Amino acid sequence: MAKNPCIIGVGMTKFGKSLETPELKDKTFQELLAEAAFEAYDDAGISPEEIDAFIVGNMLPQTSLSNSQATNASDWLGLRCKPGFHIDTACSTTLNAVGVARNLVASGLYRNILVVGGEFTTSYPADDVNLFPLDRKPLPDVKLWNWTDYAVDHNFGYQHFYGFDALNGVSGLAYMKTNNVSFEDYDRTMLQVNKNVRLHASTNPKAFMYEYGTLEEEAEREGFSSVEEYWKSDKNPFIGWPTRRKSALNPADGASAIIVSSEPDKYNKKLPIEIAGYHCAAYNWPWDGSADVIAFEGAYKMAGIKPKDIDYLSVHDCLQSAHLDTSETAGYFEKGTAWKAILDGRTRFDGDKPLNTSGGRHGVGHAFEASAGADTYEIVKQMRGEAGARQVKKPINIAVQHNAGYALHITVVVYKPAK
Amino acid sequence: MEPIVKKWYDYLEEGKIMGMKCNDCGQINFPPISACRKCRSRNLEWTEISGEGMLLMYTTSGYWPGEKFAPYAPFAYGQVLLKEGTIFATKIDGVPVSSPEEIEKGNSELPAPVKAKIIDGPGGRKVVVFEKA
Repeated sequence: MAKNPCIIGVGMTKFGKSLETPELKDKTFQELLAEAAFEAYDDAGISPEEIDAFIVGNMLPQTSLSNSQATNASDWLGLRCKPGFHIDTACSTTLNAVGVARNLVASGLYRNILVVGGEFTTSYPADDVNLFPLDRKPLPDVKLWNWTDYAVDHNFGYQHFYGFDALNGVSGLAYMKTNNVSFEDYDRTMLQVNKNVRLHASTNPKAFMYEYGTLEEEAEREGFSSVEEYWKSDKNPFIGWPTRRKSALNPADGASAIIVSSEPDKYNKKLPIEIAGYHCAAYNWPWDGSADVIAFEGAYKMAGIKPKDIDYLSVHDCLQSAHLDTSETAGYFEKGTAWKAILDGRTRFDGDKPLNTSGGRHGVGHAFEASAGADTYEIVKQMRGEAGARQVKKPINIAVQHNAGYALHITVVVYKPAK
Repeated sequence: MEPIVKKWYDYLEEGKIMGMKCNDCGQINFPPISACRKCRSRNLEWTEISGEGMLLMYTTSGYWPGEKFAPYAPFAYGQVLLKEGTIFATKIDGVPVSSPEEIEKGNSELPAPVKAKIIDGPGGRKVVVFEKA
């Protein structure tokens, strides 16, 4: 008997571009949610009739053409007239929803809850008067970030020259300065991070960059004699020194779904994943990193674990410098040592410290409020031993997932296989 | 509750950079806020800040996605530790940004003292930037 509510099913659509990717083309927001949810129902062996409540995540109503998202999604999920609501903590939403679902199930109010999140970040309605969900055009980066930056303090921070490019630069610089790491060492570490990200994504058919292959293959296609030369070329400019473009997220469209249950053995024989710890911390600009520390400590305390117990870590890598700094804040590495561990190959799926083995927000792509759910999907597959070519070899007894909702809402969840 | 944000920008028009001192714990809150960031007290009062601080690091900004700040690009964006003990991030003047090598060299000379100044920001609204001597 599991001590805590468990994840019994997961699903996700292919992540990609809604105007180009065959699996996404000609589908509406509700259809993406339904596709992810139906995979999760089938994975769990559960019927919608047995789902007692549902939580929907979605950040950009300008692209999904939906607010009151739970209302708009209910019938499409097979959950007409079930209790449902929308929560929004930006890119940590689906993880927060897992935590909220865990607590609602633990309260005894519900037995089974569906968490589902979906986002369009690459296309939006073509006509701003005649709003039809299938009549779409490419969403320019400027417009995407104008809307996304609603999550940033507009009283002061945004007026004071805030930009996502600068955030990428400052995060990298802060790691370099705190740990006395040279630019040369930082840059070759970030190259190694990207090689890992692309290697992982190249084995993940759900990933946006699956079809693009590894970074090494891409460098050769682009006519470069080495991946190092490609990395430093004008194909990969600085977006905010010392951070290059390939170290940031790739906007994507998609959906993900998770089922949280108090009856893990009732529906299938798959390994249930216990949600042992959950904590979140929200704070407004300016940021000083304290919310990350509070979220990790709170989740570890609830789960009764220490950082040394962690077998698998997932960090929110819209800025890939998170592979360095957040993995240290998590206690997965000692302060100042993550960059060396990355260069030694320890964070690859086949290393002793596996980190973000799906491809993360660059490799899988970043469909904002579906993205944390895609990380959960990967963790569940890895813990069950269903991750295929990128399966982590050692048993995962403790996995930790961290997501940062813009800006900023930090969430941490601790998972254990149910005994 | 008085309108805090409007009053702050009005103070900038008068040439004053204001924070809020917590009368319970002594914390200087900058930018101002409705409840102390340290002890959550509402017992706050306006106080003029020194405008002095140390520039900890800076990067460049204005390229991606860029539209709003394009007229200023490329510009330096950095973190300043105020004399009053809090961090503020904004545009930094007086540091080199024209090449990665210059930015690297500029950062190697930090931390260094900076002084706040009020400029016309995007949309003509007064905002605070810091300048290295």
